[in-house]
Amino acid sequence: MAEEPISSERFQILVEQAGLALTPEQFAALREGYRFVQRMRRTVRRSRDRAAEPAHIFVQPRPEAS
Amino acid sequence: MDPTQLTLAEARLAIASGNLTPLALTEAYLERIAALDGELHSFVLVTREAALAAARAAAAPGRSGILNGIPIGLKDIYKTAGIRTTAGSRRYLDHIPNEDAETWVRLRGAGAILLGKQETHEFAIGGPDFTLPFAPARNPWNTAHYPAGSSSGSAVAVAAGLCAAAMGSDTGGSIRGPAAYCGIVGLKPTYGRVSRRGVFPLSYTLDHCGPLTRTVEDCAIMMQALAGHDPLDPGSADVPVPDYASALATRLDGLKIGVIRHFHERDAVAAFGPENAPSTAYAAAFDSALNTLEQLGAQLVDVELSPLIDYLDTNRLIMIAEAYALHERDFRERPQDFGHHMFARIALGAFLSAADYVEAVRQRRELCLEFARLFDRVDIVVSANATGPAPRIDQVPFWGVFERASYTAPYNLTGVPALSVPIGFEDGLPLAFQIAGKPFDEAGVMRVGHAFERASEFRHARPPIAASLRPA
Repeated sequence: MAEEPISSERFQILVEQAGLALTPEQFAALREGYRFVQRMRRTVRRSRDRAAEPAHIFVQPRPEAS
Repeated sequence: MDPTQLTLAEARLAIASGNLTPLALTEAYLERIAALDGELHSFVLVTREAALAAARAAAAPGRSGILNGIPIGLKDIYKTAGIRTTAGSRRYLDHIPNEDAETWVRLRGAGAILLGKQETHEFAIGGPDFTLPFAPARNPWNTAHYPAGSSSGSAVAVAAGLCAAAMGSDTGGSIRGPAAYCGIVGLKPTYGRVSRRGVFPLSYTLDHCGPLTRTVEDCAIMMQALAGHDPLDPGSADVPVPDYASALATRLDGLKIGVIRHFHERDAVAAFGPENAPSTAYAAAFDSALNTLEQLGAQLVDVELSPLIDYLDTNRLIMIAEAYALHERDFRERPQDFGHHMFARIALGAFLSAADYVEAVRQRRELCLEFARLFDRVDIVVSANATGPAPRIDQVPFWGVFERASYTAPYNLTGVPALSVPIGFEDGLPLAFQIAGKPFDEAGVMRVGHAFERASEFRHARPPIAASLRPA
């Protein structure tokens, strides 16, 4: 599905929130690539049972591990 | 005899029997590197003097390691004490670690000799990028073409006969993609099977270390040295390591193999467009490979999983979220140190939320359960690797990692072992498929790969550039 590119103004806000100082080339590339963020988000955000656990579980570290 | 034409297994036997010395083998590889790597760019650093010294030491009486006297290469994200390790980045251009990667400790302990450090996409993701300090490695079958990445130099060097084996890393396919395009064998072991300690991370929960070799038998020998618990790697698993070489077989009678066709026959086009359809030659090679497995005695059954895009997007979201967390501070403070490819791909992680990440990890569990259920019904699964030959290196799409179908990432996401094995050629460039198995069943995966390899002729194929430099 084709994405409408995010506006420069809206994307500038996201960049500032992220604390990044981008060159014009980086800004243009990331703005173009933002559609993949939208697609990935759409793929993983689904209705799930509240009890559906993540793949990762918390494991107590071994004392010798740094 | 040109010893660089031997497989690792053959060279090992020749050394053990006294017909070949580690020094002669090491010198032969160094000679080939000097002659060919100006065109291939597979090494970023050749440790010539240290290699020769190690080769002389390997000839000492009583040296009996499984890799004694075998020259190898390491992707330049593997830390090597006292030896520059750059991760392919200006950020670490002068970085000399004071520790070794655990994998290199184990390989060296088994007798392996380090020939040098091998070209990598920047931090194992940003390439091919012609603005980095090191030129991208070239495909030895046709140097105008891409060898894939990110373990580019490792795969190129093995395929071109510049080392007996090499180490790569694989977060979404960075061992198996280069193995496929270069016509060699590449294994991504089970998550936790091989230590990641001392290797520059890309994504903590998706990174795997593994070997690239000319044959599956060579892969089994490498894995014997590599596999095993590392209590200082938080992801390492304490699972017994079998004798991999003894598990290799030439028949597959009684084995039930699931075939995942829909990933490449249906899902790729549905998600990424018609240019992602398998080539006619690839489809024929894949079917021929399945036919070979049946002739070897395996029972094949088509299996159906969630659409490919579910696996790919979940893998990629987790990857860039974890990678961004790793690099965020540097991206803010010294963005000029990074290549455009690496920066753009990972910086997308800045725009993900914590909830996005958690949702991806919840989806990961669902997809892992899907694989676990699948392996209740079959012993092994096979699926496509890249479904056409390597593109020209100057025609690799900048956003290809997100807008082209990839068949390797499902096995990173689920953590199961997956092996890439050559299955044919198109336009003189290699094609491959993948063999995957249950968690920690590398032996079963290599058993199938070895049987297939022995029943096909592709293990004998070498790129023209790999021909002997020495008179017959």
